[in-house]
Amino acid sequence: MPPYVLVASILMIALARADAAPPQRVVSLNLCADELVIRLGQPGTVKSVTWLARDAALSNVADTAHNFPVNRGLAEDVVPLGPDLVIAGAYTARTAVSLLRRLKIPVLELDVPRSVDDALAQIKMVAAALGVEERGAELVEDIVSGLSALPVHPARNVQPIAAVYQPNGLTIGSGSLVDDLLRRAGLRNLAVERRIDNYGALPLELLLFARPDLLIVNSADHSGPALAYEVLQHPVLGQRYHGTRVVSVPSAWWSCPGPRLVDAVRLLQQAAQRLPATDVRP
Amino acid sequence: MHATRRLPFTMAGHLMRSASGPGALIGGLLFVMMMLAIGSLGVGVASLDVAQTVAHWWRAEATIATLVLMELRVPRTLLALLVGGSLGLAGAALQGLLRNPLAEPGIIGVSSCAAFGAVIAFYSGASVLAPLALPLAGIAGALLAVVLLYALAGREASTLTLILAGVAINGFAAAATALALNLSPNPFAVTEIVFWMMGSLADRSTAHLQLAAPLMLIGCALLLTSGRMLDALTLGEDTAASLGVRVGRQRLLLVLGTALAVGSGVAVTGAVGFVGLVAPHLMRPWVGHRPSQLLIVSALAGAVLVLAADIAIRLITIGPELKLGVVTALIGAPFFLVLVMRLRRQTI
Repeated sequence: MPPYVLVASILMIALARADAAPPQRVVSLNLCADELVIRLGQPGTVKSVTWLARDAALSNVADTAHNFPVNRGLAEDVVPLGPDLVIAGAYTARTAVSLLRRLKIPVLELDVPRSVDDALAQIKMVAAALGVEERGAELVEDIVSGLSALPVHPARNVQPIAAVYQPNGLTIGSGSLVDDLLRRAGLRNLAVERRIDNYGALPLELLLFARPDLLIVNSADHSGPALAYEVLQHPVLGQRYHGTRVVSVPSAWWSCPGPRLVDAVRLLQQAAQRLPATDVRP
Repeated sequence: MHATRRLPFTMAGHLMRSASGPGALIGGLLFVMMMLAIGSLGVGVASLDVAQTVAHWWRAEATIATLVLMELRVPRTLLALLVGGSLGLAGAALQGLLRNPLAEPGIIGVSSCAAFGAVIAFYSGASVLAPLALPLAGIAGALLAVVLLYALAGREASTLTLILAGVAINGFAAAATALALNLSPNPFAVTEIVFWMMGSLADRSTAHLQLAAPLMLIGCALLLTSGRMLDALTLGEDTAASLGVRVGRQRLLLVLGTALAVGSGVAVTGAVGFVGLVAPHLMRPWVGHRPSQLLIVSALAGAVLVLAADIAIRLITIGPELKLGVVTALIGAPFFLVLVMRLRRQTI
């Protein structure tokens, strides 16, 4: 059991003692928490989600999010709502969270999930906090069965190598949800072979020399131009003769715990299957 | 009048000139530049045999190495040379025009206004629709700054007035840039002010080169025509006119040239400071105090400086790549301070 689950469980017990009834005024301060409270929350209990939840490029529940009031991650947004449960990310809205704690408002913090199992545990944890354990179990069951229902392709002698390329030339290595999804799709992760832990820089020159079979980029999810994306549009990546295929994955699909994880694995699996066998180098 | 502005190494400069003249200096600078350019092709995160790769490229064999060389390192090297050359040349020309030894595109706010123009074109999406909008907006920003500066501190203004005007223009342009980036809906935009204020050549492509190089070259050509006017201007504007120099027209060409050379460069690499200050001052002792002689050597020295700085950046591998302006400012700012102190001593 990852340490944060333990901490959170203790917190949950504390919360449960303080207030046996499920929370009636829930506020989310984190994009991934938004998705979970929107999917799992009892009607009328979710009082606010972040403004990012309405952004179709970032959120898997952008349509439904329009039915909820939004906050910008500030304590001022949250306190007047008189929440009895605030769900926040472990790394976002830190100043708001510390203020809420001082005001003795119950806060549940979600760490970044580092695997599919982490993500499933997080769904259960949030469901328990919301007092909707059965819904949580149903969602987890959907994801588990969705993943196991994916077609099993004959194993290749050599698994194709994939490189995840993110804005600013960052890649995602071991100990990440994305890496777990790549493995489940039958891909080797270039960043792992380069011993990159979690997020790390992958210079363009090294990427080219590594010649991955598959280059995985976020699909056009930006709300405007930024230099961060220029490296993804560098003409050198468009050159055909280095043999790398490019596939784009909507970043919302593989960033947060939820049913979209299944779609992400399916998309990656299909991309892997489309690679011609001769292209795959040992 | 010139005697009061003499800078160090004057003796060495005299000796050098009497021995060989600017021809040898230009030759020497070209040699250093070529050496650095070749070295620059060999420096990067991936190791690469330059000679072999060039041979492959020559035989039109496409390999990853030729791709890295031609698509990443060659444009980077050429951009370093062009940006450095433009800044050095613009610095020498501005120092002559404003008759002020501290004039420099970065210090007087031309670069930061160019960056502001480019930021508007880039983050508004205009440069996606029409790529040329990016350098043109940079040029417009630079032009605005030079015109403003000339209005504020043009004719016979003191060094202090010029610097103060530059401080104000710089401050305003930086604030406007930050505001524009804040208004961008893209979450990455705000952090990218570092690029625009400090400059970088990382991962620039042939597309950037093709976009900016022609405009930079036109700008440099315009600047190079100003030699005669700058020489005449050292005697004062009236004397220059009486010598038959069409000061008004030439001055306009110089302003346009500066805007083109600096504006289009900044639009693709961000603002790189102090090059336009350091290059002419390093060269002045070697060519004497005729501004016309200074132009071409300052361009070469600027190119050498920026390329050397960019090679240093690629060799220093501490975390994410350093910004180009960090290195040029670390060298240039102390240089600037020394110049200020020397000017003080002369005026007392």
